[in-house]
Amino acid sequence: MAQLPPLENAPINLIGLRKEAQLDLVEALDSMRGRKLLVLDPKLSGPLTLIVQISLLKEHGVENLSHLSGDPIQSDCTNVIYIVRPHLTLMKLIAAQIQHDKRNQQERQYSLYFMPRRSTACEKVLEAEGVHGGITFGEYRMFPIPFDDDVLSLEHELVLKELQVDGDPTSLWDLALTINNLQSRFGLIPNVKGKGDAAKKVFSIMKKMQEEQALTTPEGQPEIDTLILLDRQVDLVTPMCSQLTYEGLVDEFLNINNGCVELDPAILGGDKKVKVPLNSSDKLYRDLRDLNFGVVGGILREKAASMKQDYTDVKTTNQEFSDLKKFVKKMHALPEMTRHIDISQYLTTFTRKRSFMSRLIMEQTLVEGQEYDICYEYIEEMINKQEPLISVLRLLVILSVTNNGLQKKHFDYFRFVELLQSYGWENLFFINDLERAGLLRKQESKSNWLTLKRGLRLVVSDTDDSNPKDISYAFSGYAPLSIRLVQHALHASGWRGIEDMMKLLPGATFEERQVKNRVKFKREKEKKSSVDGRRALVLVVFIGGVTFAEISALRFLSAQESMKHDVIVLTTKLCNGTSFLQSLQTNPLGG
Amino acid sequence: MAVSVAAEWSAIANRYYRKQEIYRMAWHNVELSGHKVACARFGGMIAIIRDDTKIVRLRSEPARPKLLIFRSSGLLVASITWDRPGGRLIAMGWSDEEILHCVMQDGSVFRYDVHGKLLPDKVWFGQECWDQGIMECIIWGNGIVCLTEANAVFCIPDLGSPQFVKLTQLTLEDPPHCMAIIEPQHTVSGSVEVLLAVESTVMVVDGGSIQDQGTTIGPLGKMVASPNGSYVACFTHDGRLLVVTSDFSKTISEFDTQSALPPEQLIWCGMDSVLLYSDDSVLMVGPYGDWTKYTYDEPVVLIPECDGVRILSNTFMEFLQRVPDTTVSIFSIGSTSPGAMLYDAYDHFAKRNAKADESIRMVGSSIPDAVEACIDAAGQEFRMELQDTLMRAAVYGRTFCRRFSKTRIRETCKTLRILNGVRDPNVGIPLTLQQLKVLTLPVLIERLVNEHKHLLAIRMSEYMGLSPETVVVHWAGAMITAATSVPDPELCNLLLEKLKMYSVSYAAIAAHAYRNGRRTLAALLLEHEPRSSEQVPLLTSMGEEEKALGKAIKSGDTDLVYFTLFHLWQKKSPSEFTRAVQDKPLARNLFIAYARQNEPDVLKKFFASIGQLHRVGELLLWEAWAQSKNPVTRQGSPLQGPRIRLIEEAQRLFSHSKEHDFEAKACDEQARLLKIQHELEAKTGKAIFVDTSVSDTIRTCIVLKNHREAQRIRVEFKVPDKRFYWLKILALAYIKDWDALEKFSKERRPPVGFKPFVEACLQEGQTSEALKYIQKLSDPEEKAEAYAQAGMAKEAAEVAAQAKDSEILGRLKLTFGQSTTAAALFDSIRDRLSLQGG
Repeated sequence: MAQLPPLENAPINLIGLRKEAQLDLVEALDSMRGRKLLVLDPKLSGPLTLIVQISLLKEHGVENLSHLSGDPIQSDCTNVIYIVRPHLTLMKLIAAQIQHDKRNQQERQYSLYFMPRRSTACEKVLEAEGVHGGITFGEYRMFPIPFDDDVLSLEHELVLKELQVDGDPTSLWDLALTINNLQSRFGLIPNVKGKGDAAKKVFSIMKKMQEEQALTTPEGQPEIDTLILLDRQVDLVTPMCSQLTYEGLVDEFLNINNGCVELDPAILGGDKKVKVPLNSSDKLYRDLRDLNFGVVGGILREKAASMKQDYTDVKTTNQEFSDLKKFVKKMHALPEMTRHIDISQYLTTFTRKRSFMSRLIMEQTLVEGQEYDICYEYIEEMINKQEPLISVLRLLVILSVTNNGLQKKHFDYFRFVELLQSYGWENLFFINDLERAGLLRKQESKSNWLTLKRGLRLVVSDTDDSNPKDISYAFSGYAPLSIRLVQHALHASGWRGIEDMMKLLPGATFEERQVKNRVKFKREKEKKSSVDGRRALVLVVFIGGVTFAEISALRFLSAQESMKHDVIVLTTKLCNGTSFLQSLQTNPLGG
Repeated sequence: MAVSVAAEWSAIANRYYRKQEIYRMAWHNVELSGHKVACARFGGMIAIIRDDTKIVRLRSEPARPKLLIFRSSGLLVASITWDRPGGRLIAMGWSDEEILHCVMQDGSVFRYDVHGKLLPDKVWFGQECWDQGIMECIIWGNGIVCLTEANAVFCIPDLGSPQFVKLTQLTLEDPPHCMAIIEPQHTVSGSVEVLLAVESTVMVVDGGSIQDQGTTIGPLGKMVASPNGSYVACFTHDGRLLVVTSDFSKTISEFDTQSALPPEQLIWCGMDSVLLYSDDSVLMVGPYGDWTKYTYDEPVVLIPECDGVRILSNTFMEFLQRVPDTTVSIFSIGSTSPGAMLYDAYDHFAKRNAKADESIRMVGSSIPDAVEACIDAAGQEFRMELQDTLMRAAVYGRTFCRRFSKTRIRETCKTLRILNGVRDPNVGIPLTLQQLKVLTLPVLIERLVNEHKHLLAIRMSEYMGLSPETVVVHWAGAMITAATSVPDPELCNLLLEKLKMYSVSYAAIAAHAYRNGRRTLAALLLEHEPRSSEQVPLLTSMGEEEKALGKAIKSGDTDLVYFTLFHLWQKKSPSEFTRAVQDKPLARNLFIAYARQNEPDVLKKFFASIGQLHRVGELLLWEAWAQSKNPVTRQGSPLQGPRIRLIEEAQRLFSHSKEHDFEAKACDEQARLLKIQHELEAKTGKAIFVDTSVSDTIRTCIVLKNHREAQRIRVEFKVPDKRFYWLKILALAYIKDWDALEKFSKERRPPVGFKPFVEACLQEGQTSEALKYIQKLSDPEEKAEAYAQAGMAKEAAEVAAQAKDSEILGRLKLTFGQSTTAAALFDSIRDRLSLQGG
């Protein structure tokens, strides 16, 4: 099991946050006496590994851990604790397991913990299956999961589908509750800005919750200064583009899950798969993760060379013990170094491919927004070659979003003739859902992408990857729209300075101030002027997911000299273009 | 003064006991003899009813007995004519919640609140008990145990949810001599233990098991367990009083009463002495066989408390307790303890006597102890003037202390105010400090509220810094119950006027109003409830589902929406439900999400009823798709029939509107495709066609060298030329049919050019085949790339040079980066180019 991320350098006390989540979990476990079987929602076990270590579960009587599935329970434990998200499909599985036990006269106690809260609809299903009476219910309010010093995630991958396709805003309610919890911990956040309908909705639920139950916030200055809520609907282009930062590429080609990447023996050597945690506790990774991959190789080479130099120094010259100590300390970083060299080498096998290059060129052409015909041709050829559907769709979505939809003839041609005939008719549902989520549409009015591109400087051509000046380095020339909005929000004039652009983007825009009460506010303001040197903390919330490259771009922003803000990210899910689209793909038997 | 305090004490061995009068009873003409009396613990209510097993002389009162409820001070709270069925009243007792439980001979239990209101829920001991009849019964704070005429033991272990259980059935010739219990909080098993004196031994019923303690101390005429459950006091047939451990293994003390008749009442006073009451006298026996006797000229009732015994007679109520240690240290005659000295000093001080100084000097450095003793003793006192003097002595002493916690004095004063407040005869709760600690303040407040002492309760809450919410909510509830004739809006305003001052749950009050049939009032009150999670469930249960749905949607809490939806769904007809949900997008979406998983048929009807036929079509397609994924329905071609029918039905539904042309066409194609795939599987005998796409099917045909079928499908589904070429090229390369590939390339000029041929060959690692097609490429860039991919650096470089394209060269160099000779080659060519260019 991987180590928990250390979180020591977090700008707010995330260790305390995690501790509380641990205690809540322990409380849930202790609600049943004796040894027990813990059955987890398969989607939850990954995130849970970032909260607790298995040893803690064992200390609290968990004898066995299994994933909820269609199979009956294989254990002689008489106590069973389920911890699941309140998804209707999971209820049938639980009901089936309990019914199976009943048929086999296996007597057990069942506890069911919903995360983050109980759900009437789910209990209704259990009632209909006739097992509701035998279950003790509880809630496990998992706090946002700290992935790193500056990254929190709810790891709720179905937000987009529930919200845009099913029209079920439950996740917004959960998110609002999470933010309010953060506020009751770290203080009422004075500045709130938001863009997009979901953002607006989250903020209004937050306010309503505060009306219903007064928020108890700690005394003194709030630790977080600004809250920025961004609805993913505002920027659907960025997640579709290939991420070109080191961390982004690792995610694109190797998939980072729950802060870990699983590496094949072919990459690292050895004879079995290895799970490697990727967070800022790995100092080399912390330095490399946010860089454009193009410069990573050079830096690694430099570091290796300096190490080699040190080595020869040690061998040839007579050195003091302190120097030796320094050297030995450096040698400790050696395994990390080799690992990252191996990973980068593996990634180059993809990035050197002609197909990768031509794909990047195509993405670039799309965000430039001027020549669409060659894009259509390119995509058509991809389909003809039967390249993976998701990979085709990532480009089609950029095309559709930047162009405000596909022209009718293309729209019908692609979705019908090409996609369905090539990938199977069942993708009809997928394509319809993409349409409902606004990802793939028929053009109805002219696109304003070109205006946006110009107004927000979304394409910045002269980039020097090793010494970037703009966030566009993360996508080699394309400045991610979402982060550009954050950049403007933190600018002195705020979003008022780009009002025309904000109007062109979908959904409501708002900038508000939250105050506890007048008197206090005045005092805080006075205080603020006296401690001007303090770096203000900004919480950026992505509703619907965020990519690693975007987070890198944010870190880049806050590292700029002119920027007086530290940034911390809260997202509903860490994703990339592929996982983002996959979350909309459904299976008729569940989900 | 000091002398008079200790003069009232009586000494037993080395300890003192004192008996103080708390109240002169406010009642008149109450005669305890010949009556059953039940007194609630912690200075609670007294219930009195005529004992119909005894002969009583009726004065000017009706023949029907009356159940009377008094405060401890003798103020009448309620008087009800007793008309309950069920035979003889066996026992009567108060629960911790101050509910009076009356157990009848037939096993039914009637419950009254402090106001004499009969509670509606039915409690009884079951049919078996009804048949046998109850002989004896013991009621404790949270349960009842009874013994039937047929020697069965039944129990209600929790009065909160009064379900009876049968503990055991004894087979005895003679009924037990007596019965006692040890309350569950004192037993190891956590359930009540019933002690039955049978012949000369004692049987213990614990949970379901029964155990003979094998002792021979009996036969016992009376038993009672000590307040902490660890000892049992027993009265033997030969007049001895024994104190034994509760497992009867050891006798702690023995006392000969020289009376063969068991006492009428046998009761513990605190932990260390036992009281026996018979014939107008109370005999108190201490732990070492010392005793004292109090004589009365009227009958008394002994009421055990945790730190003493209350003694109730026709005219007074007394409290008998062991004198607390601090009180002894201050007031015992000749005491020179620091407390006594301080008290003495203060006495002089108050009399302006200079001796005060001398006394205080004698206390010396133990002043803090002296102050503490006075504070403690003040807390133990019933008499306010003595409390006052002791506290003043404490404050006087504190001025000589360097450091003494102010809060200690303040807290004691506050607590004393509370105690004096409830001891007032009008309230009539004679609590001691110790009892208040055990009872806790919130419970005391709850009691006051139940007795409708709201004003006192709320003042106490505020004074002690507790939330007044429970008091206010109860008050509002009581108001609503009482004010039956006040019109709704008026009553609402009346309530709001007071409720505004506190933050309380309006929903709780509204719920009370609703239960009392004041629906309009409930609705009015509910408007003031800010919490939707409180508002919505009540509105729903009031039958205002649609209003509830509106509120739930507004709250943004989807769980509340679901909650109301399920109510609506259960209560309303399908058409009403549809109407309610139709124009509310959130409610509709949530219902669809739920029904899609769990009620597909209901959902189909729902869509049909709102005219969304295409959504029905989607559901049918969904079903067809689910069948394809399900391993049972997937197997075997004949089963494709129902699937095709589902798809065709879906197509029919889609074709109702033009908007859904796309879906209709897709259905049509899929139905046709399935039929063809079905045929193909039958012909080839291979189950590899069904559920693959059109493109896949073509490829599979070509791989199987069935070009005619491939062609047929191409025509049938109007597959574009380009795609067909790609599919065929890749399929032929896959089966390495190079001849066929070449032939295909020569059929006509390929609409996709020759690049796909090159790619397909290279993908299969067939460079020599690829070369054939590379030569045919016309675009030099493509050609150079193709050479490069084939690993032919020199040719690639030459082509690039011809095209004068240095960008390609740069990229090629990267590709061939590993080989230095190739890199050198590129550099030289590039140099040449740039020279030429420059």
